[in-house]
Amino acid sequence: MDREKLEALLIDYIDGNLSPEERAMVEQEYLKSNKDAYRLYEQLKEVIQVMNRASQFEPSTRLRTDFDKVLQTEIAGNERGKTVWFTPAFYRVAATVALIAVAGAVGFLLNEQRQHAAQLAAAQEEILKTKKQMMDLLNNQSSASQRLMGATVAYNDIAHADADIIKVLIRTMNDDENSNVRLAAIEALAKFNDQPHVRQALISALSTQKDPVVQIALIRLLVDMRAKGLKKELEQITTDDSLLPAVKDEAHAGLLKLS
Amino acid sequence: MTDEMIMEAVKNGDLQQASLLFERYHKRIFNFLARMTMDRTVAEDLTQNVFVRLLKYRNSYREGARFQSWIYQVARNIFSDHYQDVKNQRRGFIDVEKIEGIMADSDDTVMMDEREELLHKSLARLDPDQRELLILTRFQHMKYEEVASIMDTTVANVKVRVHRAIGKLREYYFEMERI
Repeated sequence: MDREKLEALLIDYIDGNLSPEERAMVEQEYLKSNKDAYRLYEQLKEVIQVMNRASQFEPSTRLRTDFDKVLQTEIAGNERGKTVWFTPAFYRVAATVALIAVAGAVGFLLNEQRQHAAQLAAAQEEILKTKKQMMDLLNNQSSASQRLMGATVAYNDIAHADADIIKVLIRTMNDDENSNVRLAAIEALAKFNDQPHVRQALISALSTQKDPVVQIALIRLLVDMRAKGLKKELEQITTDDSLLPAVKDEAHAGLLKLS
Repeated sequence: MTDEMIMEAVKNGDLQQASLLFERYHKRIFNFLARMTMDRTVAEDLTQNVFVRLLKYRNSYREGARFQSWIYQVARNIFSDHYQDVKNQRRGFIDVEKIEGIMADSDDTVMMDEREELLHKSLARLDPDQRELLILTRFQHMKYEEVASIMDTTVANVKVRVHRAIGKLREYYFEMERI
């Protein structure tokens, strides 16, 4: 019997996977009369036993607190998404916004110039604070979850992105080592797709991103945007044999939608 | 409530339920990734990514699919991305000599004995596919059927590969014991 077969037999013997007849055969033919086979059995038994009783590792409490944060952010984002796009509450919100706008206009006429300037400055400061918070999170090279939160802040809390914000989001999308952070950056960038160079960066990312999940997310997004120049990229994807079939299927589906 | 029922609820928008799945699976996923990467900090980040993906891609969970297989598939994909990144950056993947320090943690009350330390050093020398099979079947005590479902292959194939991996591990273990 060759060594691999003998090892398999002995492992089954140790695991208790053999019938009584087979066990008797192993004992008779190998364990009692064959010194090398017995040594092999002893060694296999030892590694198997050490594996079976190996200690379990405990994660730090950071894992749970970080997860809770991500979950709460996701729940908040989900609620927000629902309110704006998917429920009739959208109309109520629109009415509220209109009302606030009218109230704001009246306030503008009535308030003194100084008070108005102070409000503007406060709002400006708030925007700057959010921007700084987002940049700090995105630049935290030691924690992927912090960077993920940074991209989520960009998605949820930044209404108008300036050149700095766009630059850091594009850099995150292209270079972050963590695919979830890259995905979140893509989602945030999608929000600012009215800026032509954002669209261009998203299209360029199609050929540089290697994670299939990211590739598929990008294709869906760009197809929904009906981005210019996308067809050529998609055609290229459908002929690239190094890509996963699921990615190519997505590109085919995208081409169909665009045609 | 089964894992599958909870995941369906998450998929239907009840995101808070995801904390139950985190409760049930985070230690197992962390242990799987800690032994795959041999690095606690990286394993914690990757475990976090698994649950982020669970939330972000909840719609890709197919009704009726076994949750355990699905979440382990996510964990395997995340490990594979990490492995590729590390390889592309040409950083040494696992430094066998440093494993003791990496795996030990000041909070741990359990000290690894010498044999277990030797085991981890030998495990680190296996290729990732073999290491993964042993982690799932021996350290996490999964049945061959469960592993076959995660890896989308047959039970016979898993069994043969596990036997080969144990054979290789034995070789490294006793080779290092002699040093």
